[in-house]
Amino acid sequence: MASPNEIKKGIVVRKDGDLWVVTEFQHINPGKGAAFVRARIKNVKNARSLEMTWKVSETIEIVEMQRRNMQYLYKDDTGYNFMDSATYDQMSMSEQDVGDQAKYLKEGMTIVVVVYEDKPIALQLPKKMNFTIIETMPAVKGDTVSGNVTKEAKVDVGFTVQVPIFMKEGEEIVVNTETGDYVERA
Amino acid sequence: MNQEKVRARSEIVKLIRAWFDQCGFLEVHTPRLVGLPGQEPHLEPFWTEVVISNAKGEGRRAKSDAALITSPEYAMKKLLAEGMDKIYDLGPCFRNNEPWDGTHDPEFLMLEWYRRDAGLNEIMEDTESMIRFVAKESKNVILREVGATKDLPIGISAESFRRITMEAAFCEYLNVNLSSLLEDKQALVDLAISLDQTVGDEDSWDDIFFKIFLTHIEPRLGEQPTFLYRYPASMAALARRSEDDPRYAERVELYIGPFELANGFAELADPDEQRERFAEERELRSKLGKKTWSIDERLLSALPKMGNAAGIAFGVDRLVMLLTGSKSINDILPFSARERFDI
Repeated sequence: MASPNEIKKGIVVRKDGDLWVVTEFQHINPGKGAAFVRARIKNVKNARSLEMTWKVSETIEIVEMQRRNMQYLYKDDTGYNFMDSATYDQMSMSEQDVGDQAKYLKEGMTIVVVVYEDKPIALQLPKKMNFTIIETMPAVKGDTVSGNVTKEAKVDVGFTVQVPIFMKEGEEIVVNTETGDYVERA
Repeated sequence: MNQEKVRARSEIVKLIRAWFDQCGFLEVHTPRLVGLPGQEPHLEPFWTEVVISNAKGEGRRAKSDAALITSPEYAMKKLLAEGMDKIYDLGPCFRNNEPWDGTHDPEFLMLEWYRRDAGLNEIMEDTESMIRFVAKESKNVILREVGATKDLPIGISAESFRRITMEAAFCEYLNVNLSSLLEDKQALVDLAISLDQTVGDEDSWDDIFFKIFLTHIEPRLGEQPTFLYRYPASMAALARRSEDDPRYAERVELYIGPFELANGFAELADPDEQRERFAEERELRSKLGKKTWSIDERLLSALPKMGNAAGIAFGVDRLVMLLTGSKSINDILPFSARERFDI
């Protein structure tokens, strides 16, 4: 038995006999009331999503999943394809199951896949990942007086992120995969 | 640090003060460091110790526990009791053990103001006028007249802020008659379960209410600027009961976009009920293994002299976030919590 305080993205809870993976969560303190954790959870079998709020002092059942190191191979019509680095088994995950984490996937990268009964149910991205800037405005010295400190940059896998104004194309950056924000130079 | 936004925050604070000053309010600077802070079971004050350098040898205590305030409420109510009216306090407040989720910092700017002989209507009018004044006069905000959108930012449009009672909110968002559930815990439990919530044996009526409210109503309230008022009396213990329906009490919260910006009350001035409430809070703190301290007797004695006052606590940093289109409180602070503390 566990506390709702342990809830994180990718954690799986058992509710009403089913397994649900946490896709979003937030701690809420409705001032002058108890403390709560509100989460969006997705049914592992039928992908139905719902919102739940637990009291922090409740107990919930967190189900330990198998977490396998896999290599992300490529995407095709079956979805995103992964290969188990140890056994060479392959499995694929649908676009729906991967959700917005897809934007960080790089072919060939190692990634932890959360597996239940031999079925992949969620991806556990490293909290920080490196990407190379492939497109951005020329580097300028930070103009802190007028407050222009960031600019948009496109990275090698395709998404855009706000970076400091002095960054150049070709530079490597660290991105927080939970928020999508620039962290620092790699 | 984003200098543009730090400037915006400075300007917004000045504009807030200008609005209150021109409305005849007096700015009071109540203490940040006190012996008896608020006892809310889920707020954690920062504690230190105050020491007198020359008290030894006089047979007096030379030191005492001291805490940073989580809100200036107690001091302001004491001032009201002294006969002051239309007072505001804008300064830092401190709360420990909060989630660092982008909308909290252990130190934040709080604005509280109080009126004698007033109720929620006056407070709601003050709040809306003040926000509109600031949004209009600021040279730094980017959102003046934008309509509601799905993500941040939500703007302040020309349309008046929506005012909706908790009862009407349950009707609108869940098609449920809240009043019929106030005395019927089982029906509330059934509703919660039908809405996919878990209900434990230890859950109080309030707990179950919040599970429903926080899941299905609260996230949607801010789609347009909204005052949510008239809460079930049990969760507004310090508010006066609503005159036309004593099952509800005069508490109000303001939601704009993803933020809860303010929490206000038509204040209850009954020291006996207040003492009981304090005792309950203290007991709950103890049960949760948290530090406890004495009840503020001076506040209790002051209450009867407060009359029918109304007051509200308002998150200035969140208003700044809203008006500058910022997703995180760290965008508007010169130094974020992680920059100040090695965590």
